[in-house]
Amino acid sequence: MTVLESAINLVDAGLLAQLLLGALAILAAVVAPSRLRSLLAGAPIVCAGIAAAATGTAALLGGVGTGLRIPVALPLTVPLEPLLLAPDQLGGLFMALAGVVVALAALFGIGYAHGPAASRTGWTAFAVFAVGMQLVPAAADAVTFLLAWELMAGGSTVLLLADHATREPVRRATIWYAVMTHLSFLFLLAGFGVLTAAAGGTSWATMAAASVAGPAASLAFVLLIAGFATKAGLVPVHVWLPQAHPEAPSHMSAAMSAAMVKMGVYGILLLILRLLPDGPRWWSIVLIALGAGSALYGILQASVQADLKKLLAYSTTENIGLITTAIGVGLLLRDAGQNGVADVALVAALLLAVSHAAFKSVLFLGAGSVLHATGERDLDLLGGLAARMPWTSVTFGIGALGAAALPVTSGFVAEWALLQSLIHVDARADRLIAIVIPITMGVVALTVGLGLLTFVKAYGIGFLARPRTQAAAEAHEAGPAMRVAMVLGAVLVVGLGLVPGPLAQALAGAVSAGGVSTTGGAGLLLSTVDVVLNPVALTLLTLGILIPLVAMNAVLARRHPRRDVDLAWGCGGERISPRMEYNATSYSEPLVRVFRSSLQASQLVDVVRHDQSPLLVEQMTFTQATGDVIEDRLYLPATRWAGRLGDLARTVQNGSIHRYVGFSFAALVLVLVLVAL
Amino acid sequence: MSNDLYQQLIATTTGLLLLAAVLQIWGRSIVRAIGLLVVQGIALAGLVLTVGLHAGEGSAFLVAGLLLVVKAVVMPWAMLRSARMIGVTREHSARVKPAVELIGAAGLTLLAYAVSGPILGNRTDPASQAVPVGVSLVLLGFWQLLVRGSAITQLVGFLMLDNGIAAISFLTSGGLPLVVELGATLDVLLVVLILGVLVVRLQAEQGHIDISELRELHD
Amino acid sequence: MTIDSVVVIVIQLVLAVAVTPVLIGVMRTTRARLEGRVGGGIGQPWRDLRKLLAKEPTRAPGSTPVLTVAPILLMTSSLLLCALIPLASTLALASIPGDLFVVVSVLLLGTVALALLGLESGTAFGGMGSSRHMVIAALVEPTVLLSIYALSVPAGTSALAAIVQTRRAEPASLLNPVSLLAIVALVVVVIAETGRLPVDNPSTHLELTMIHEAMILESGGRDLGWLELGSWLRLTALLGLVANLALPWGIGQDASPLTLGVGIVAITVKVLVLGSVLAAAEVFIAKLRLFRVPELLAGSFVLAFLSVSASYLVF
Repeated sequence: MTVLESAINLVDAGLLAQLLLGALAILAAVVAPSRLRSLLAGAPIVCAGIAAAATGTAALLGGVGTGLRIPVALPLTVPLEPLLLAPDQLGGLFMALAGVVVALAALFGIGYAHGPAASRTGWTAFAVFAVGMQLVPAAADAVTFLLAWELMAGGSTVLLLADHATREPVRRATIWYAVMTHLSFLFLLAGFGVLTAAAGGTSWATMAAASVAGPAASLAFVLLIAGFATKAGLVPVHVWLPQAHPEAPSHMSAAMSAAMVKMGVYGILLLILRLLPDGPRWWSIVLIALGAGSALYGILQASVQADLKKLLAYSTTENIGLITTAIGVGLLLRDAGQNGVADVALVAALLLAVSHAAFKSVLFLGAGSVLHATGERDLDLLGGLAARMPWTSVTFGIGALGAAALPVTSGFVAEWALLQSLIHVDARADRLIAIVIPITMGVVALTVGLGLLTFVKAYGIGFLARPRTQAAAEAHEAGPAMRVAMVLGAVLVVGLGLVPGPLAQALAGAVSAGGVSTTGGAGLLLSTVDVVLNPVALTLLTLGILIPLVAMNAVLARRHPRRDVDLAWGCGGERISPRMEYNATSYSEPLVRVFRSSLQASQLVDVVRHDQSPLLVEQMTFTQATGDVIEDRLYLPATRWAGRLGDLARTVQNGSIHRYVGFSFAALVLVLVLVAL
Repeated sequence: MSNDLYQQLIATTTGLLLLAAVLQIWGRSIVRAIGLLVVQGIALAGLVLTVGLHAGEGSAFLVAGLLLVVKAVVMPWAMLRSARMIGVTREHSARVKPAVELIGAAGLTLLAYAVSGPILGNRTDPASQAVPVGVSLVLLGFWQLLVRGSAITQLVGFLMLDNGIAAISFLTSGGLPLVVELGATLDVLLVVLILGVLVVRLQAEQGHIDISELRELHD
Repeated sequence: MTIDSVVVIVIQLVLAVAVTPVLIGVMRTTRARLEGRVGGGIGQPWRDLRKLLAKEPTRAPGSTPVLTVAPILLMTSSLLLCALIPLASTLALASIPGDLFVVVSVLLLGTVALALLGLESGTAFGGMGSSRHMVIAALVEPTVLLSIYALSVPAGTSALAAIVQTRRAEPASLLNPVSLLAIVALVVVVIAETGRLPVDNPSTHLELTMIHEAMILESGGRDLGWLELGSWLRLTALLGLVANLALPWGIGQDASPLTLGVGIVAITVKVLVLGSVLAAAEVFIAKLRLFRVPELLAGSFVLAFLSVSASYLVF
């Protein structure tokens, strides 16, 4: 059967279109002249993203294709089944999500990419990464899945290396990323191996039908969760994320953070909902513990970062943690027979995933725009950008509102659904639930609170007040392509927040959840727990209050117009130097004090005294450093041991030709002896 | 006594016990801790009265009255007196951060709830439903003994532990093991009086009442 | 039904705006009298407000629109709170049932507006106030959500009106430990969110201790007037919420003039009494050191936490 023979329906056509557009993008990247390369290679990728969004939406809404079969003609003795791409509803959701993010990122990239990121390799890698990522959720068997997974991993690694020639941290970040990615792949390979052996086939359908249980299922669960958690950036395998996200080109960071880590989430959902739906109870506890730990650790680290992109990266760990927690709660409740509330939790997980994709794209694109304009991503050196970059400032602000889960954004709707699912649990019957749910609630609440602080800091320090450096003072607004991408993303953040009803209804299909419906055109009604959320009505009420207030303010302003003065009060004197402003480090100082031990914070105050009198101080320097406990305690010892092993291996491999010949000789003799026996 | 009222009274008195215990962990003031002991004594007496009257025992008034006198008047008074004599009104020598202490207290309470279920089996009467509060009092008392340094707060923790044991025994036995409880209460009273004197001596001899400093054994 | 709800909302808004200056006046006078001062009188906050709203604000070069927007945003958030919280009546809009999570996020919107305003000024004080304000807001969040959680378990919903109604129907439940612990925790939350002693001293401009005042230091005239009124309204709304949860009597359940009238009188009395009790208590306590505030919040968190587990495991 060839590609062309497959019946042409929307889903199949969409899949085919993505492949073709990806190929076109690669072609354009290779042949186009460097001046036009970004436009010519970026445009097909944008189109591929849109195609994925359309295909995914069709699949999510129940469109089923016959599947796209790609015959494999490898000269192997074992005949390989044709690769099968056939997204189900869940896959469709994640494909649409990836598609939208890719389209936004590529659009931004057209205006943003410069230097190595805009080279032939750069755009080719981006195209490979994008198409690979879009096809991961479409795969209908393990081999196709792993292939698409590797395309995604390979493409992103190459693009991550873009700036390696000029910046040292890039090399370090890429090594971390490459190692962790391959670790993830190995775990997945082993996990799917176990499943395939137990089920007798590689396709999802075979695995689901075999209903594997017992030790084999648990082994597969542990291996696959380890693999997916690494991709998703959950603690303690998150270490690549805060290194790779800041160093990648910003459109790439957006795509990685908003979409690629979601593939880990997709994997977890695929595993527990479709492949191994009847797992024992401890699986859900594992997921809740992983998720809650990641959420708290991630946001705690994010709240003290001064590097804008690193802050966003840690916040990704937090959000994935919340998603995993919601999945775990859903699983636990399904196990306890509370299906109505379990459905709400699973829908909340998907809402969190979708809203995170929307606001994190905007935030990373905004950070990219700032980086593009000032060359800085250290908040301590920014400031005053709101007046200089109004578009970036407003869109970043909307993204930050979404990340802080404030109304009316998609982030608010998602967190609302999660909290509703938690408080409607009937825990009286079950002691385990009665202990787990309040703790989860406490963790989620603290996460929400710290998230608020984090994004007030990111926005307030970066965009308000006065510029702290010359670079920030000379910032300029982003170009049209970048602006359009950011505005579209911001529209998504608010739009999804305004119409949660239809969105949640569509998402409910992906996890076959009942009791989710639309009320009043846009509102969300969760009938199993009997709660309603109608952001449109809330907005109307707000407008009802806001309009008279603004009118009154305007009347007062007409009578007593605002007066411009030369200087703000500033404690009785002029604000002489922007160095006196609070910066990101000082902003989070109280928090560092509170959580000193978990953050491994160290502070150093260096005082230079005057020669004549020790009472006079000439200069003071304050340095504050916070560390990643997990990196220091877990990975550094591990790498040290690996290094020692490597040293041991040196004694065997010392570069002497004679020794190598000797090895070959010994091997030959050994084989001969073995054959003879 | 109607069943609803009974349930409500049990809930209120045990709730008061738990609240007073948490507030004790929360604060650093010794005077306030002693004041909270008074509250606990009153709540315990109320609990005894409720359980006793529900079981139809006339002696409940006697026991409750005695508990009230001993736990809410005599013991706090004796402790307050020694605290005044040595002039120590605040705890200074706690060994962990207050926030950690509080979170630990929450964890212990959760543990108490978790283990009480299996211990109680499937009894469903309101009295035994409140047993976890007694267990948490015992655990919180131990917790205070563990993390606090000053001899007087140690004493407070010890009394909290004793209150917990008393609450458990009243709640589970239904009736009143009058003699046993009275014996135990008087023992504790004796301990408190002796320790009260000891603390004053300690302050006089050592100049502090931090028991973590007392390491060496004399022969 | 809908018309009735709109009437209730309008009445609550008017009531809140009318009562708030009186509440502040009563609180300040109570405090002044207990401290042996005469004080400015109950009408003083109202006079201050009129004066401020009629004065022009100033603007330093390089300011962003946040300077103008933040005060209005704070006012909007506070007024929305007054509309969503059942003050005079438990009648709520069907499409916006005063869901507690919605109420909390509206509250946080005001918090964020203030924090951004503090940063916007670009002075050391503004940033300091903003930073402290946000740290407290972040640490108070677990207590808020958990105490809400504890209160909503018996009612089976997080809609405020339904919770108040359930509590009113079963007065016995007001005294059980779940409810007591949750209310105590909620009081700490209200104190922290509205910047009262011992978390913040609303009547100080001492640089080391101020939080709220540091953020609005740069604002003047009309902007300051909105900021003051907005912060006061928050206090009214939250005190009204605690009052109606702790003592749910008198609150109306429909829109008939009689019950509404009773409801209006009841909430006014409750808020004023609660306010003077709070003010009287403030005379006897000192402000906590900033770095001991987390201890206070951890304590209230533990209370809320115990309240939740108690509601599941025992009662």
